[in-house]
Amino acid sequence: MTSDEPAAPGGGSAGKAKPPTFDTSVANQARIYDYLLGGKDNYAADREAVDAVLKIAPEMGFTARENRAFLGRAVRYLTAEAGIRQFLDIGTGIPTAGNTHHVAQATAPESRVVYVDYDPIVLAHARALLNSSKAGATEYIDADLRDTDTILSRAGRLLDFTQPVAVTMLFILHAIPDSDDPHAIVATVLDALPPGSYLALSHLGSDIFDEEAQQGFQSIVGRMSQQQYTGRSREQMLRFFKDMELVEPGLVRIEEWRPDPGTLSDYKSTAWGAVGRKR
Amino acid sequence: MEAGVPIGAQLRPDPDDVPAEATVLRMLLGAQLRRLREAKGVSPERAGYEIRASRSKISRMETGRVGFKIRDIEDLLTVYGVTDQQQRSDVLALARQSTAPNWWARYGDIMPAWFETYLGLESAALTIRSFEVQFVPGLFQTEDYARAVTRLGHHSAPADEIERRVALRMKRQDLLTRPGPPRVWAVMDEAVLRRPYGGATVMRAQLHRLAEAAKLPHVTLQAVPFTRGGHAGASGAFSILRFQERDLPDVVYIEQLTSALYLDQRADVEHYLEVVDQLSGEALTPAETTAFIEQVARET
Repeated sequence: MTSDEPAAPGGGSAGKAKPPTFDTSVANQARIYDYLLGGKDNYAADREAVDAVLKIAPEMGFTARENRAFLGRAVRYLTAEAGIRQFLDIGTGIPTAGNTHHVAQATAPESRVVYVDYDPIVLAHARALLNSSKAGATEYIDADLRDTDTILSRAGRLLDFTQPVAVTMLFILHAIPDSDDPHAIVATVLDALPPGSYLALSHLGSDIFDEEAQQGFQSIVGRMSQQQYTGRSREQMLRFFKDMELVEPGLVRIEEWRPDPGTLSDYKSTAWGAVGRKR
Repeated sequence: MEAGVPIGAQLRPDPDDVPAEATVLRMLLGAQLRRLREAKGVSPERAGYEIRASRSKISRMETGRVGFKIRDIEDLLTVYGVTDQQQRSDVLALARQSTAPNWWARYGDIMPAWFETYLGLESAALTIRSFEVQFVPGLFQTEDYARAVTRLGHHSAPADEIERRVALRMKRQDLLTRPGPPRVWAVMDEAVLRRPYGGATVMRAQLHRLAEAAKLPHVTLQAVPFTRGGHAGASGAFSILRFQERDLPDVVYIEQLTSALYLDQRADVEHYLEVVDQLSGEALTPAETTAFIEQVARET
């Protein structure tokens, strides 16, 4: 049950650099996540998929909420402590409370955020709902994560690549199968950025996700969703941060990454999270 | 569809029982109270007892047939185990909204009940998404444009009535400048921008007004140009109102010639949500739309 197995039928690199068709009869990762977070921008097929997932992996709701909380803490750290003012948020998802530019601009109103998503409907929501502060700026790019040329050339219009940039890829890389070489994709993006830039990642962990539940999850996602699922282990996660310096406490479960005082519960998520600094 | 009687199971108490002033807002809130009560397994008798009222009072509240006292709602939320402050304040805000004296009451003589209902929902909404095929959305109309459109609809009305109708429409726009305004996201067919109600001069001013409105942080405008034909909106104009309270359903509003249709059943609502989602993906982006509106204004 790791990424080395072949992707489920219909998955793999099918749809590479091609936006998903808008089809509400099948589930969609952005809308699944919206539903898990209590949003209203989802359809019956998304809710069916989530209900099926929650039967075999009831912690998925907690994991989704913790991923959102991880985004908040990571971006707050990057803005307030690491002094980052430029963000490249790849895999934006349907806007909800506490989006990247809200968090960043709460600390540093001049922060500039480029949102990237390959789903045109998600991006329409982002354009409508994610308004920048007056001092800062937000921009939106329609692009697949695998299309790094488009992302980098267009992001370069709003962001200054001679200054540090924080790249966030939260709950997106598990939709990229190994056949598309996600490690090379991440490396290409980071290569374009100067030392002192950051990478924040979260990813469902194949080694902290109960084996049986994970197989069920992969099967449900494979059958019911437009995106596929590839779990990755701690070791595979660390490879994304090759040659980088991990910010304390390193690679941990998302809820354990610099938790706010008094917020840790007995629940455990099934996702790894880390923030690294480019040397 | 009888004017003013909303459809949909949750919004469908016995039609004979619905007084003219019943609002969809009250029904939505009532339905939410019922869900909360049932989730906690509280009987209507016990709920009634807790607020010094009868079982039938609870039933009338849950079907939106009576107004709410804020204190009763507070007590009921406590009985139903709702302790989350955000959820409590969302519900209470709606309850206050449903009992607040409405600014539009003095326009009652020129306004059908179904439109009053809409104004109640509009002022309580967190988000208003709409698709327009012919008219500029009411919230963005200039006085002259509104007058031209109103005259068309009421060509035999005396001048002072027309003026009051226009005044009502202008007053409604206060929504956009109040503290905590709703987010308004409108998708418009190109025909909305082209059809010159009131003539070219009025229309040009209207288009400039739209371009100005698009600058408001809580307003998003998207145009669907003719060149992107065959869009999903062949259905006609509609609005979808969304409320802050997590468990409240979205409400679809479709205005008809002499009445309005309100849909709140998820299967119905989702059909419209799908159309508006599809349209927002097909339409020009907000930035492109502003440029497009300015271009149409030059051509008008």
